[in-house]
Amino acid sequence: MTGLDDPILPTSIAWGLLAAFSVLWVVLGWWLGRRNKTAEDHMLAGRNVGLALATATAMATWVTANTTMTAPQLALQLGVWGMLGYSLGALGLILFAPLARRIRELMPEGFTSGDFIRLRYGKFTWRVFLVVSLIYAFGWLVSMAMAGGVLINALAGIDYRVGMTVILTVCVLYTLLGGLRAVIGTDFIQTVIIIAGAAFIAWLTIDKVGFEAIHFNLMEERPELLNLLFPAAIMFLFNNLLFGVGEIFHSNVWWSRAFAFGRNVGFRAYLFGGLLWLPIPIVAGFIALATPALGLNVPAADMVGPLVAAEVLGLTGAIVVFIVVFAALASSLDSLLAATSDLVTRDIYRGHIRPQASEQHQFHATKVIVVLLGLVTWLAASYRGELPIVGSLAELLYFTGAFVASAIWPIVAGLYWQRANPQGAAWSMILGSGIGLASYFLIGFYVAALVGAAVSLAVMVLSTWLMPRPFDWGRLARPDGEVAA
Amino acid sequence: MTISITALSVIVIIATLVASLTPILLIALFIRDWKKGCLW
Repeated sequence: MTGLDDPILPTSIAWGLLAAFSVLWVVLGWWLGRRNKTAEDHMLAGRNVGLALATATAMATWVTANTTMTAPQLALQLGVWGMLGYSLGALGLILFAPLARRIRELMPEGFTSGDFIRLRYGKFTWRVFLVVSLIYAFGWLVSMAMAGGVLINALAGIDYRVGMTVILTVCVLYTLLGGLRAVIGTDFIQTVIIIAGAAFIAWLTIDKVGFEAIHFNLMEERPELLNLLFPAAIMFLFNNLLFGVGEIFHSNVWWSRAFAFGRNVGFRAYLFGGLLWLPIPIVAGFIALATPALGLNVPAADMVGPLVAAEVLGLTGAIVVFIVVFAALASSLDSLLAATSDLVTRDIYRGHIRPQASEQHQFHATKVIVVLLGLVTWLAASYRGELPIVGSLAELLYFTGAFVASAIWPIVAGLYWQRANPQGAAWSMILGSGIGLASYFLIGFYVAALVGAAVSLAVMVLSTWLMPRPFDWGRLARPDGEVAA
Repeated sequence: MTISITALSVIVIIATLVASLTPILLIALFIRDWKKGCLW
C-alpha cells in the first residue's frame, strides 16, 4: 500500500533530480535568450520558429500537469470515458491550425490575442476579454503550481509549499532570462522526456499487471468505470471537448505562438501537434485503471498517477514519473508565464497605464510582470484546499471552463465573420461565463464549458443576425491602430 | 454496456505505440530543420 505517509522516492534523490533539472532549464533558458534585445525578440522569438520546435512546443504546452495527473484522476473517477474524453482535448489544437494560419495572414505584426480583440471589436469587448482571459490564465497557473507541490509531496514527502516554491521559482527564472525562445527551446526537450516517459510507464504497466487483471478487477470493484453509457462521463466528454477548444482559441499562449511561428508553419505545427497529442491522455490515464488490480489505496484522486507508477515500477517508476511531471509542469508553466506577461504588458500596462511606453520600456516591463505573476501564483497556490473553490486540480481547472468556452464564438466570428457584432461579442462572453458558472455550482464541474459555449453561441449569432456590423479586415494589419471606444 | 478486454487493449496499445514513436519523429524533424537552417 502506498499513501501520503509513505513517500516512494527518497528525499535525497528527489532533491538531486530537482537540482539537476532546475540547473538544466535555467542554463538553457539563459543560453537561448542571450541574444534577445527587444520586446519583440523576448515575446515572439524572432517570428520565424521552424516546424520541429513549433510542433513540440504546441504539444509540450498542451501536455500539462493536468494531463499527466488529471488524466489518471479522471480515469479513476469517470472510467474509460474519462481518459478518452480528455484525449479529445487534442481537437482544440487541430481546430486551431486553420485559425493560426488566418491569424498570421490578418495580423503579420500582431503581438497578443488582446490586440486582435481590441482592433476587431473595440475597447469594451477588449476589456471583457481581458477579464475572461486573465481569470483563465491565473486558474491555470495556480493549478499547475499546485500540481508541482502535490507531486513532490506525494513522491518524496517534501513539504507541499517547498516543492511548489522550487518549481515555480525555476520556471520564473528561465522565462525571465530567455523569454519565448527559452520557452520553446526547453519545450522541445521536455516533450521528448514527457512522451517517452509516459509510454515507458504504460508499457511496463501493461507488462506487469496485464489487461485481463485490470478488466477483471474493475468489473468486480468498479464496474461503472468500464461502462460506456456512464452519463456523467459522456457529459464530461463533450464538456472537455469544448473546454479544450475554448482554452486554445482564446488564450494568448496559443496566439503568441501563431505570431511567433514562421510563415506557413503554424497550420502544420498545430495539426501535427494535435494528432500526436491525442494518445497521451490515454497513455497517462490508463494506468489509473490498474488501481483495483493492484489493491492500491489512493488517498487523493489527483495523486493516483504517480502512486500507481511507483507501485508498479518501484524506485524507477517514481524517478520516471517525477521527471515526466516536472517536465510537464515546466513546459506549461513557462508558456503561461511568458504569454500572460505579454498580455499584461501589451494590453494592461501599455494599453491602459502607459500608452507611450517605448519598445525598451516594454522589454523591461514584461520581465517585472513575469516576477509579479510568479509571486501572485505562489500566494494563491500556498492556500490549496483553504479556498472554497480550490478542492482538487480537476475542479480548479474546470472552474475556468465557463470562461474559456464563452470566448470560442467571439474569436471564431471575429476571424471569419465580417459582420460580427462587437457588443454581441462582449455580451456572449459575459452571459456565457455567468450562466456557465451557475451551472458549475448547480449541476457539476463537467457541464460548465458546455453551458458557457451554448449561451455564448446563441448571443453571438442572435446579435449579429439582428444588428450586423461590417468590418474592414485591413485594420488588423496595424496592431497599434486606433479603435473606437 | 461494458467495454470488452479486446477493445480496451486495442485502444491502449495503439495509443502507447503512437506515443512511443512520437519522440523519434520529433527528433527527425529537428535534424531536418537544423540541416536546412530553419530551426528558428
